[in-house]
Order: sequence, then C-alpha cells, then structure tokens
Amino acid sequence: MFDKEPNIDIVFRNGLKDLEVLPPADVWANIPAMPVARRRFGMVFRIAASIAALLTLSLVASWFSGNNGTVTSGPELASMFSDSEISGVADLQKPSAIIRKLTAVAPVSNPVAIPEREEEATIENSTSLSLPAIALSQDEADESDRKETNTHTTEDAIIVIPQRFSAFPDQTGQLALVEPNKSGDERFSLGASLSPSMGFSGAPEDIRLAELLSSEKGVPTYSTGLTFAYKLSPRFSIQSGIGVASLGQIVTGIDVFAGLSDFYAVKGSYLYRVETSSGMVVSGNTDLYLSDSKNRVGTFIPGGMADPSKYPLTQVDDKIHQIFRYLEVPLLVRYKVIDRDIDMNVSGGMSYGFLVQNSAFAMDGNNMIPIGHTEGVNIHTFSSQVGLGMEYSFSKVISFNLEPVFKYYMTPLSNLSGTLSRPYSFGLLSGFFVRF
Amino acid sequence: MQETREIIDGCLSGSRRDQELLYRRYSPRLYAVCLQYSGNTDEARDVLQEGFIKIFENLSAFSHEGSFEGWMRRIIVNTALEKYRSKYYLNRIDDIDELAEPMADPGTDDFSGLEAGDLLNIIMELPPKYRMVFNLYAIEGYSHKEIGGMLKISEGTSKSNLSRARDILQKKVKVLTGITKRMVNV
Repeated sequence: MFDKEPNIDIVFRNGLKDLEVLPPADVWANIPAMPVARRRFGMVFRIAASIAALLTLSLVASWFSGNNGTVTSGPELASMFSDSEISGVADLQKPSAIIRKLTAVAPVSNPVAIPEREEEATIENSTSLSLPAIALSQDEADESDRKETNTHTTEDAIIVIPQRFSAFPDQTGQLALVEPNKSGDERFSLGASLSPSMGFSGAPEDIRLAELLSSEKGVPTYSTGLTFAYKLSPRFSIQSGIGVASLGQIVTGIDVFAGLSDFYAVKGSYLYRVETSSGMVVSGNTDLYLSDSKNRVGTFIPGGMADPSKYPLTQVDDKIHQIFRYLEVPLLVRYKVIDRDIDMNVSGGMSYGFLVQNSAFAMDGNNMIPIGHTEGVNIHTFSSQVGLGMEYSFSKVISFNLEPVFKYYMTPLSNLSGTLSRPYSFGLLSGFFVRF
Repeated sequence: MQETREIIDGCLSGSRRDQELLYRRYSPRLYAVCLQYSGNTDEARDVLQEGFIKIFENLSAFSHEGSFEGWMRRIIVNTALEKYRSKYYLNRIDDIDELAEPMADPGTDDFSGLEAGDLLNIIMELPPKYRMVFNLYAIEGYSHKEIGGMLKISEGTSKSNLSRARDILQKKVKVLTGITKRMVNV
C-alpha cells in the first residue's frame, strides 16, 4: 500500500518513527506528583479479599476457642441453648445445662470436687464425669427449682461444661458425649463461598448464531463472594450478598499474529472486529493482525492503506478468549428440607449482575496478549438459579455448605440483534458460614 | 528492566519513583513528537509537561488494551492540538475549494542519506497550519475529514495544506539531500 502514497510521506513517517530527543532537564521538576488514582473495582476486590481473609481468621479463632470451657451467666446461657438445641437428649433441657452448687442437689454419692464457694467456676478439659455428681434430669431440675424458688439468686454457682453430656449414662457409667448444637437461635449468618461452574449456551434458531456457536467453546468459570442470610423461621431463610461471577468462552479458528506495529504505524482506533455469539470483539491492539476462514473477521484498516497479510508476522494463537465478569447481588430463599446432622436445603432466587470486566485476549504460551473487548455485551443482567445443597455444622456457629447449583441467565449476554445467547451453567457452590 | 505494567501500577498507587521512571522511559520519544508538532523547543516543552500531567491524571483509564505508548502519544498529540487551536485559531486561513492531492513521483527521489534529526528540523520549519495537517495525515494516519474536525477547517483546506506542506518538504529534502551528497563526495 505504501508504494501508492507520495514518497515524501513515507520518508517522514519511517524517518521519525523511532526518533528520540532528550527533553530539557527541568520539565520533570515542573510536573507535580500525581495523587493516588486507584482503579475502582480493584479497590472493591481488595476489600472483598480483606473481608474474606478476616472471616477466615475469625472462623479459625472460633474453631479453637470453641474447644475451651467458658463460664457465663444464666441469661447468656438461656440465649445460647434453646430447647431444640440439644439433639438426641430429649430430657436434657435448658435448665439442666446450669449446674447448681452441690449443696442444692441431693443425694450425691461421688461428688466431683467443685468449689463450695458461691462463685462461678470452670471445669476444664473434662471428657467424662460421673453422672450423679453433676447432672440433673429435667424432673429433678424442675423439682429442685420448685424447692429453691425462693432461694435462687445470682449467688448460685453456674458452671458450663465445656462439652455437653447426656443425662443418661452409657454402659460404662460415664456421661455420653452429645453432638454439639447445630441450629440455635442465631438468625444471621455470614459466609464466603466459591462456586466453580461450566457455562453453556442454548441452542439458537438463528442460522448465523448457530454457525458462530459451532466454533465457540465454554470455559470453566466461577462465582465467588460474600453471603449474608437471615433466618425467618427454623426452616426458612433469605439470603443475599455480593460476589463476582465470571463467564467466558473461546472462539476457535481465529489466527492471531503479532508484530504489525513494526511495519505499519496506525492511529489509535480499532483495527479489527470479530463476530461472536456474545457480541462483536473489537481489537484495540495495534500490534495484532487477525484473520480467519469463516468470514467472522472484518478490518477497519482503510482500503488501499495496507495489506498486513503480506508482512512477515508471527502467529501467537489460533483462538480468542473472551471473559466477562459481573458484580452480582443475589436474592435467594432457602428452605431446610431435612434438619439433621447434615441438613438438606433447597434454594432458589434471582441475581442482578453489573458488568465490571469485559476483555478479549490471545495466549502466547503463558503470556496473555490483550486484544480488546466485546461490544454489545449487556451491562446489566438478571439470572435465576436453583440449588439443592447439604449443610454440615462443625459447631454452633460454623457450618459448611456444599450445593450443586443450576443458573440460567434470563437476559441475553449480548444486546446485539441476531446474537441472542442466553448462557446457563452448572456449578458446585461451597463455602463456610458463621452464625451470629 | 521493570515491566511497563508494574510501573503503571506503581504510578497508580502514588509512587513518585515509578512516575519518574515512566517519564524517563517515554519522554525522549514523546518529546520528539512534541517538537514535530510545536515547531520550537519552548512550546514543545510546554506540550510535554502538560501532556504528562494529563497522562498521570488519566492513567487509571488506560485499559491495557493496545499500545501504552500509542495511548500516551495520542494524549500528547491532543495536547499539541489544543495548544495549536488556542494559539493559531485567529490566524486561520480562509477555506478554499477542494483540491486534488498532488502525488509525488514515487520512488524517483533518493532520500536515503537523511537523518531523523534532519527530518525533524525540516518539519519544524513548516508553517504551523501545514505542519499540523502533514503530521496528522502522513504520520498519524487521520483522514482529511477527521483532520477538518480537529482543526476546525474544511476537508478542502486540509487537502490544500497537505499539498503545500508536501511541496515545501520535497524541496527542502532535495536541497538537504543534495548538500549531503556533495558533502559525501568531498
């Protein structure tokens, strides 16, 4: 193309291309220090990461502290242990968790050495205790309560056993260890979750779209974020939060060459466009040359200006990767179908997503080469999801959730006519939750 | 050598050292662009200074798509254009009828002996209106329509200015080439 241009243009274009002239020394001194201008979403991600780290530390701390006995007062205990907390021990009710000073319990054959002082005391690291020494059945406790109605004061010694025991002895005469509570009065929970998933696109009716999809592959994606839930009833809860959902695909059969800028000085507009099912990829990388055999690549280079295919360029990839990341705010309802050691839940709801990253790139080995972005991608999306999950409680406050999830995007990924692709995905949501 | 992306991240985090590193790395090439558009060193240093302030202020907007140097170059060129518009707008020439672009005879001139510095000096000597159009058309690759929008002139004026700029440059280059060849022969 250059041989059609006036020679003088080429002389100056090539002659000045790599020219460098040292600027006067005082120019830098007159450029003021720039204030910090952080990238908006980088800050969001950093905050989210910090919260996740703090949450993890809190969970670890809770886990270790949960193994130590504590001494507390009656009202606090009452809030900690509800009637339904002690599973498998119907007769061991809330009052029996409070062990009154031994002088109020009769008769005792093998008393444990508990201080006679009317003070709070702690039994540490106890793994087994003789039943008669400390435990009261509900009837005994009630009877004791009746007898001492007028004498119960805050002076009563209150002891919380670090691990709870059945009111009935096992065959060895020892108190049987009782499963810790797994569903208390705590109505709020906060969690961090990660859901790897695989995305797909629905079968289109449009012939061109079907043709495009035949050359595209879904890639493993993920959703991650913080979840906040409120328990409406023992079985119903609503859940929301904030997270990032990543979608993507690979467009095959697009040859990507690098090195164009060595031969062709261009202005900064986009040079190529690539038609995909999710929109039009526009290439802003002026060093790349794109081509394919399926009539998907078009060029913005003016006719007669250049024919990059004639330059000795280096092929770096034969496909294009597209990534779309959405900041998502879900609103879900969760119903506990089975309330056992391992709960079973069904969940369903919707999510609103806001596009925060839209990139297209090629890979040269392990190096990512930015190409541009996809035009026509919907900035706002609405998706629905259903899940069937299992929840295991490690302690009264910590639980782990594992939940296969099906997600369907109700709004198409692209708003370009003819490229209405509604992806869906199957994922496995997992995460830790802490109740409070 | 530190990667450009790392330097950009450092600049965004407020590191003055990284800002200076960025300036030291790219200012020689961008200063050449300033001279190419400005015509004299005083104006060029102003454009470079204002341009770098804009680069730092807008660094967070760079999306790492495409050439970073190209992105900076566009900021510098736009700064030079603003300077030109504010300085020369009142002295604009009248629009004239659209002229066909005169095409130089391709390949008949031998300019191989010219240095980049010589070319820069020649271009700096052009009248501002010719210099701007020549730079935007021949070096940056803009169309006459785009140039007309940037400089607030008609496409015809842009073509006319380009034509005159080429004439002047051709003559000066030939003179310079002749001098160079004579010096080589001596």
